[in-house]
Amino acid sequence: MAHPHPAHTHPHHSDHQHGKPLIRFEHASFLYPHGPALEDITLEIADGEFLGIIGPNGSGKTTLLRAILGLMPPSQGSLRIFDCACQELRCHHRAMIGYVPQKRSVDPYFPITVHEAVMMGRAGVIGLWRRTGRQDREIAHHALEDVGMAEYEDHPLGALSGGQQQRVFIARALAQHPQILLLDEPTTGIDTTTQHTVMELIQRLHEDLHLTIVLVSHDINLIAPLAERLALLKTRLYAVGTAREILRKDILAQVYGPQILTTDQGHVIVADHHHD
Amino acid sequence: MVDFLTLGFLQRAIVAAALTGGLCSAIGVFVVLRGLAFIGAGTAHAAFAGVALAYLIGAPPMPLALVFGLGTAWITGLLEERGRMKLDVSIGIFYTATMALAILFIGMMKTYNAEVYGYLFGSILSVTSEELQMTGALAFLVVGLLGFFSKEFFFLAFDQEMAEASGVPARRFFFLLLTLIAITVVVSLKIVGAILVFALLLIPPATAYQLTSSLRRMMLYAVSIGVLVSIAGVLLSFQFDLPTGPAIVLLATGVFFLAVAFSPKHRPKPALS
Repeated sequence: MAHPHPAHTHPHHSDHQHGKPLIRFEHASFLYPHGPALEDITLEIADGEFLGIIGPNGSGKTTLLRAILGLMPPSQGSLRIFDCACQELRCHHRAMIGYVPQKRSVDPYFPITVHEAVMMGRAGVIGLWRRTGRQDREIAHHALEDVGMAEYEDHPLGALSGGQQQRVFIARALAQHPQILLLDEPTTGIDTTTQHTVMELIQRLHEDLHLTIVLVSHDINLIAPLAERLALLKTRLYAVGTAREILRKDILAQVYGPQILTTDQGHVIVADHHHD
Repeated sequence: MVDFLTLGFLQRAIVAAALTGGLCSAIGVFVVLRGLAFIGAGTAHAAFAGVALAYLIGAPPMPLALVFGLGTAWITGLLEERGRMKLDVSIGIFYTATMALAILFIGMMKTYNAEVYGYLFGSILSVTSEELQMTGALAFLVVGLLGFFSKEFFFLAFDQEMAEASGVPARRFFFLLLTLIAITVVVSLKIVGAILVFALLLIPPATAYQLTSSLRRMMLYAVSIGVLVSIAGVLLSFQFDLPTGPAIVLLATGVFFLAVAFSPKHRPKPALS
């Protein structure tokens, strides 16, 4: 395996007009029971930044998001979120991180309405001892308006299309009033037109609500025009930088192999096009 | 028809049926949604082994039933959580092992003890006022906790990992749910028996599942169905001299199939744009 060259670009946030770092990996490694999931990750994500995580199937992209959620402590090195070690991440910290997991099929008969699904986003925010009230219902309604799904509030979630369900899950994350929004393959399993609608929505939320966004995608061409920086991952962090800096054949070939092609229009073609 | 309702034992049986029917159906909503159906069966049979041991050594049956029931629920929950074993496999092992223990304990008894079998099949018509009070108190506790933490329990039932990621201490609530299932099973054991308690945990919530697309309405429907079929089962069994447990189970099963047949979920709908 080729040795990684993270020095191609700088892993620290430096050139962007954003606030202080919210997430800091310092030589952090993460283990699965059968072996390493991520090794020696050093990365800072600043307040208000839009970071795209790219890499081939099984490269640890989802693990990186799970680590930020505090669900996987590092085996070595450190990870700090909101200036708090991830092992000490409390429920109220987690409630400040909205998470849209990789699309799983929702049982079409599961008895849950769109409103009930979005209200779940309020559970962690208001804590154990408070019941949801009118204000929470209004926040859920506004979140649905933000993603253009307010008219479906009373519909069964299982009756919606894949793209509509994904927008509902984004609304659930927004109902938390998060500082950070993590999205794991938000366009998987939905048609091309809807993919662009969802990505435009994410871009609008980033601009309007000044959310810090970390978005994982196997589709480099979809994420590259939107993300301010891209992080190229394959167990290790190979490179971090702008799309112009990262989307070069010599850099991408380190993780995707020689089957990677870049076109004159800046498009990337990966012959073996799996996702994480 | 109304005359027999003045009978003390029948009044107690009706109240007991309503309490256990409502209680089992309320917790059963989460059992069905979270896919823990066989936890109810495994816990009920483990609790029965605890009862058999208590009669063998001359101890009070309820504490030992609770120890066996809680032990089974927690160990199977831990095995599932750590990914060591699928829930249906671990429950299958506990189910058979605890039934084997119960048969072993009964076999070791010097004389035939009809009271032990009462816990297997239930004895709702012989419920005492003290048992009714204890059932009422525990039903209040379990339903109170389910109601107070409903937002956490519903989130857990829908997506436990998302609940944890969103700041809900989902793991603790999962074990609280297992604890409440075990308490419900043990409380209901004397009244409805180990076999019927499993039916009440599953059938009314599964019926409600057919009828609605809302979590809160599912809870409302499940509890209503559980209470009504339990009371109707007691009255039918008294009126036609039938065994009470089977009357309740078969009535609930009939309602379930009606719900499946007329479920609005199975009607073709126009696609949403």
